Amino acid sequence: MDRNELTPTFEELKRVLGDSITDEQLWIELDKYLNEYHTAIETAKRGIIRKYGGSDTPTFVTGNSIVKKISELTGSEASVDITAKAVFVDRKDITVKGQMKTIISGIIGDETGTASFTVWEPGSVELAKGSVYNFRNCYCKTWNDKVQINIGSRGRIEPAEGVSMDLPDRQISVVSQECKIGSIKDGMGNVTVTGKIVSVESRDIVARGEQKTVFSGIIADDTGKVQFSAWSDFSLKEGETVCIKNAYIRSWKGIPQLNMGDRCEISRVDEIAGIIDTSCNRKTVEEISKIGGGLDITLEGFIVDVRQGSGMIRRCPQCNRSILNGVCTAHGEVTGVADLRLKVILDDGTGSIGAIINRADTEKLTGVTLQAAEGLASIKGEGAVGREMASKIMMKKIEVTGNVMSDDYGPSIIVKSAKKSDTDVIAEAEALLKEVEASI
Amino acid sequence: MNAREMAWRVFASELNSSTVEIKATEEKMPSYVISPLGAKINKVLIAGVLTEKENIGSEDEPMWKARIQDVSGSFYVNVGKFQPEASASLSDLETPCYVAAVGRVRTYSTDDGRVFLSVRPDRIMQISEETRKEWVLDTAKSTWSRLKNVKKVLGMPDAKENDLIAMGMSPVEAFGIIYALDNYGNMPDSALYLKTIQAALRVILPDRDIDLGFPEDMSDEPDEIEMDMSGKTSEGNNSAQMEDLILDLLAELDTDGKGAPRDELERRAEAQGISSIELEEVSNILMDKGLVYEPNLRYLKRI
Repeated sequence: MDRNELTPTFEELKRVLGDSITDEQLWIELDKYLNEYHTAIETAKRGIIRKYGGSDTPTFVTGNSIVKKISELTGSEASVDITAKAVFVDRKDITVKGQMKTIISGIIGDETGTASFTVWEPGSVELAKGSVYNFRNCYCKTWNDKVQINIGSRGRIEPAEGVSMDLPDRQISVVSQECKIGSIKDGMGNVTVTGKIVSVESRDIVARGEQKTVFSGIIADDTGKVQFSAWSDFSLKEGETVCIKNAYIRSWKGIPQLNMGDRCEISRVDEIAGIIDTSCNRKTVEEISKIGGGLDITLEGFIVDVRQGSGMIRRCPQCNRSILNGVCTAHGEVTGVADLRLKVILDDGTGSIGAIINRADTEKLTGVTLQAAEGLASIKGEGAVGREMASKIMMKKIEVTGNVMSDDYGPSIIVKSAKKSDTDVIAEAEALLKEVEASI
Repeated sequence: MNAREMAWRVFASELNSSTVEIKATEEKMPSYVISPLGAKINKVLIAGVLTEKENIGSEDEPMWKARIQDVSGSFYVNVGKFQPEASASLSDLETPCYVAAVGRVRTYSTDDGRVFLSVRPDRIMQISEETRKEWVLDTAKSTWSRLKNVKKVLGMPDAKENDLIAMGMSPVEAFGIIYALDNYGNMPDSALYLKTIQAALRVILPDRDIDLGFPEDMSDEPDEIEMDMSGKTSEGNNSAQMEDLILDLLAELDTDGKGAPRDELERRAEAQGISSIELEEVSNILMDKGLVYEPNLRYLKRI
């Protein structure tokens, strides 16, 4: 390897070792490790750091550790040293495996960027906001595509004496991104949305051993609606239009939810026009698949398959789970309660999605009532009910509304209401005709 | 995440003029047909009139050949024993009637390089005239949207997939259009698709005198698909033909008495126009008949 190729490595080592090695000597060492003994670059770096780093930097703990800037972290580091300034520090008690534990978490930053960190065994360590520390033997993980720095039992934190660090302001408070509710995605942080509070209610929960009141509900704009949770009281009222700054998005079962944490700011603003009809949030399968999930989504498409588990099923009288052969996975042998349901695949030409349809809508769509199904089952067996229903609804165009969530098998919709499609075929054909005529 | 393949809405005119394929190179990887308008098709939802059906298999192991005619031509439909539901419903259906079918698209190429498409439905059902019109409308809208997109892209010679996505197309649409324009040597025949849309609108709006300026003919129907690809034999004994062919291949490939290696057999069969799925079916039939056996999983041998 020639000097050009090695320049980044050289500079990295130079940063770590500083004056403890001359440029010339470092080049000789690199040449020896890499070209003479053909070691891997990482091995060479470790060896050189250990050889020269030892005397002048007594705090250097282990030869296995590498030194990185925050922006260089990939999230897969098993042992890394970082020198950074504590930007935000919070000591809190958590429960791990039933045991109370104190941890320190927060944000640290250097001139290249910021990252969140957690000290899992803080002991008597105190971190002061604004001071610079050497974080040694840290391990990194990623969460929501962001690197997290962990200081575990092997890790150490020491004040970096005499080191001052200037952090670009911008990196501490990431600029809030303005965002329409319809384009909200999991993992977003610092979003600003403006919308109308459709509903709000308070709930008392116990979080981290503390009694807390959360305010949750639905907020909507002209592109969609989303469930929100406010972790402190912003005295939100139904019907008012608000601008929410610094909210973050987390998903539950693929359904994105807007969270208002401590840093959230709320202001009352003028009503915005064109709030979507919140009872009907019409999407194509492709659109909802991209988002991953949503509440009260309306989809329309052809039933292209009726899956197993459709027709007559039995449910556990205690937990309402569907049971097989009279055995509930949670409650053992039980006398099942008869129910009807449909598991179908809906396809609208932009994508396909699984749909689970409850008894009332199953009866409505197929015209087969539970009573009729029980009659049919007693003559021809329960399997016949599924087949009969499939023949009634297969290849029909229907419209369903419900909550969409995603798992490894793709999106599915738990249908709250379903009906035969009421597309006005004539009107739509006229509209298409007009469009085609105009363009040729 | 393994997304479920969606069922495209395409008319016979578009499907039957598709010749570009993306073949699966790995196990479990789906194959696709790219239509001239850029639909990246694995599955289709088709509807129309079931005009003919014929069992070319046996009473016990039916193999159905059928045709479903839409406003622009006919879909060729094959149903074998791996589509038990479709097979059962097809045997009960009486021609002519309105049907809808969902299934994968398969291709056959002839020696002279022509490509024929057929649909192998998992499900086929009789439908009402109303549902048929809903399908015609959906499919007309979908065809029109593809046609519009293609026209847009033709006007931007250097457009990449990302540019199209930025214009609001879905990644699948963007991929399909670029792939189609790169791989079909010529521009899509927009007159054919406009004529198809005209025919579709005439079905839904029979009282309107719709005239987009295209003569009403359906001369773009491709020739009959012959499953054995030689085109020499009459319909009906295709399955027997394939069996003979496979038996001959087995004899030829069994050079060391161990049997014919599967991969080699598959390649040779493919060259004769027998797809791997058909080969699977035929070898199962031959095994059932006691004519061949598998000395091990990688070989097939004549008894």
